[in-house]
Amino acid sequence: MPINTSNSNVATRENRIGSITGYVGTLHDLASQSQCGTLKGCSRCFSQSSTCLSSCGLGQLSAIRDVAIIHHGPAGCSVASSTAYYMTKVMAKKRGVSSNTIYVGTDMNENDTIFGSTESLRKIILEVNKRYSPKAIFVSSACATGIIGEDIDSIVDDVREEVGVPIVAVHCEGFKSRIWATGFDIADHAILQEIVKPPREGVKTNKINFKNFFESARPEIIEIFKNFDLEPVFLYCNSTIEELSHLSESLATTCICGTLGNYLGNGLEEKYNVPYIRSINQCGIAGFEAWLREIGRVTGRSDKVEKYIEEQRAIYIPQIEEVKKELAGLTAVLGMGPGYTFEVSRVLEELGIKVVWALAWHYDKKYENGDVPPSMKYLLDNDIDFGASVADQQNYEVMNILNKYQPDMYLSRHPGSTVWAIKNGTPAIYVADEYMIFGYKHTLEFAKTILNSVKNRSFEANLAKRTKLPYTDWWYKQDVDTFLEEVK
Amino acid sequence: MGEIRQIAIYGKGGIGKSTTTQNLTAGLCEHGKKVMVVGCDPKADSTRLLLGGLAQKTVLDTIREEGEDIALDRIMKEGYGGTKCVESGGPEPGVGCAGRGIITSINMLENLGAYTDDLDYVFYDVLGDVVCGGFAMPIREGKAKEIYIVASGEMMALYAANNISKGIQRYARTGGVRLGGIICNSRNVDRELDLLRAFAGELGTKLLYFVPRDNIVQHAEIHKKTVIEYKPDSAQAQEYRNLAQAVIENKDFVIPTPMTQERLEEILMEYGMMELADDYKI
Repeated sequence: MPINTSNSNVATRENRIGSITGYVGTLHDLASQSQCGTLKGCSRCFSQSSTCLSSCGLGQLSAIRDVAIIHHGPAGCSVASSTAYYMTKVMAKKRGVSSNTIYVGTDMNENDTIFGSTESLRKIILEVNKRYSPKAIFVSSACATGIIGEDIDSIVDDVREEVGVPIVAVHCEGFKSRIWATGFDIADHAILQEIVKPPREGVKTNKINFKNFFESARPEIIEIFKNFDLEPVFLYCNSTIEELSHLSESLATTCICGTLGNYLGNGLEEKYNVPYIRSINQCGIAGFEAWLREIGRVTGRSDKVEKYIEEQRAIYIPQIEEVKKELAGLTAVLGMGPGYTFEVSRVLEELGIKVVWALAWHYDKKYENGDVPPSMKYLLDNDIDFGASVADQQNYEVMNILNKYQPDMYLSRHPGSTVWAIKNGTPAIYVADEYMIFGYKHTLEFAKTILNSVKNRSFEANLAKRTKLPYTDWWYKQDVDTFLEEVK
Repeated sequence: MGEIRQIAIYGKGGIGKSTTTQNLTAGLCEHGKKVMVVGCDPKADSTRLLLGGLAQKTVLDTIREEGEDIALDRIMKEGYGGTKCVESGGPEPGVGCAGRGIITSINMLENLGAYTDDLDYVFYDVLGDVVCGGFAMPIREGKAKEIYIVASGEMMALYAANNISKGIQRYARTGGVRLGGIICNSRNVDRELDLLRAFAGELGTKLLYFVPRDNIVQHAEIHKKTVIEYKPDSAQAQEYRNLAQAVIENKDFVIPTPMTQERLEEILMEYGMMELADDYKI
């Protein structure tokens, strides 16, 4: 679907790319149904947890340095400010830069809801601009402002000249989508709409836009890219508005996670012809090599890439093969966002570990360009199949699967989830850092981490023995789709 | 003293709900009844005829300007015949949320103890159609139990009345709200009485009263008065007294049976036209 940056409102993932939050079946069935277009999601008659897309969207934007986020809604919506605080105070410090990004909630009350409060919003925008001199201002709606149709767009247009810096309306009504990742798209849309400028004439760069979460492998990737005479521009954590304004000049866009980067990558390609790297992601050997080769192809640096691959293989492949011997035959269950679920499944299979079930928190039937996500295509092409479900962060479904399959390990990118697995007696690996399985080096470390986790299981066994979980035997005997309902 | 009869008046925008409600109220006052009228329209014009003008400060404006710690007499004014008059008020057109305003306003009236035991009737005069949950607030649990729909023989008035019945049906399932009948505010269209009777019958209710059209109503409005106050001896004043009597005596309260669009159009075809073409004169 074309990305329309003339409108500030982004369609939800459900509407745009057919994303679903409920499914139980197999990987093969999920992928084939995605390809032929018959995939329909299920809803739940009971939901244990959920995440608001505004935390996700505004979390992304507040990671940018020296900007202002104005969240126009009741005070409770400002829970998203905790992410902003973390990004500004911790991640900037970690990198050794300073960020004066400010997050302001407008504390909308009952009267504001009834009478509208765009005039107060106007004053708040001007005051924030005067007091903090941000490099850009993002003005977001919330559920209450969305329901009453508060005209944020007009206010933003009205004050644009007066504030003198880029200002953009961001529509973050939490009820719009069950899928928090819609927030990634909303943030990307705001950046594409107002921050990214057309390429400057005559400017030649060797930059690659690299969308990631926390840029923890920044120094390492800068070094890797030097081999190809390329320079990564990491987004949005610690980005500056100046950097973002030139994204249109880069040689290509890539990302650490398809769920995270898909909208921006396709948007930059559609609007400015910046190629979007659509390989499987950089996790594991196959992923890293496919990704490097695609970058080589797109930027005309294939020779340099092949040379690098050859050198690195010589160092790491023998070591990885050595660890693999001890991993062979182990079984695993995963619970992650869809970007990682199917990429990490691939790596586990690569390491000789049998994936018995994968739970994706949601699932994107296709990406913005209309293709099935590359990770799914890879698994299908390589005849890999296992039980798969789309679990929308429902921990009770995770526990049902863990109890049924009793795998050797559970992997999740969400810490609360791994704790439950450990209480169940299952060794758990928290794939927290997005670069934990990046490239040869981290794939080797990942393999060793798994080995460490499963070798001595006494902690998990002892904890399980002394823990009473709230789930009944009845639930463990049920099929995992017991609470799923066909969408009519 | 019996239970307060809480009555909500619905109907298409411009059909004459406020005019009918206020004239009906004046009629009830003559019967010695104690009445409160709660305007549930952001325009705040539901009590103009009883108060002799738009002198009323609305509940929502008062809350906005003075906070929630307000006394009842700040928002309630006494009008014709000792009626208590309240206007919810609301935002300017095109901004905010009028529906939420009604919810806040009615909650505030309850909190302030506006529903005193000496009241016989409370009328909620509600804006046009039931466009969202806020406009259904007066008929939710514990509030209005009786509803009258003001309609005429015009198609859109009947269409709106049928839609409103759908809302009543929804709340009737969980609460005690019932339809008391249709009040026709005549527009002098063809076979209006027959049409309204047939329409009411199809909804499972009755035509409670047929108020004929009379220009004296407009004259009274210009003078900011009800007809009963403006010309007590007129025939139209008597009509409103009769309407008040009909409301007092009414005991038929039903869960309406809204009809399909097709059925509504059938009824219109059957009753809504005199002999075609021949009747057309300039």
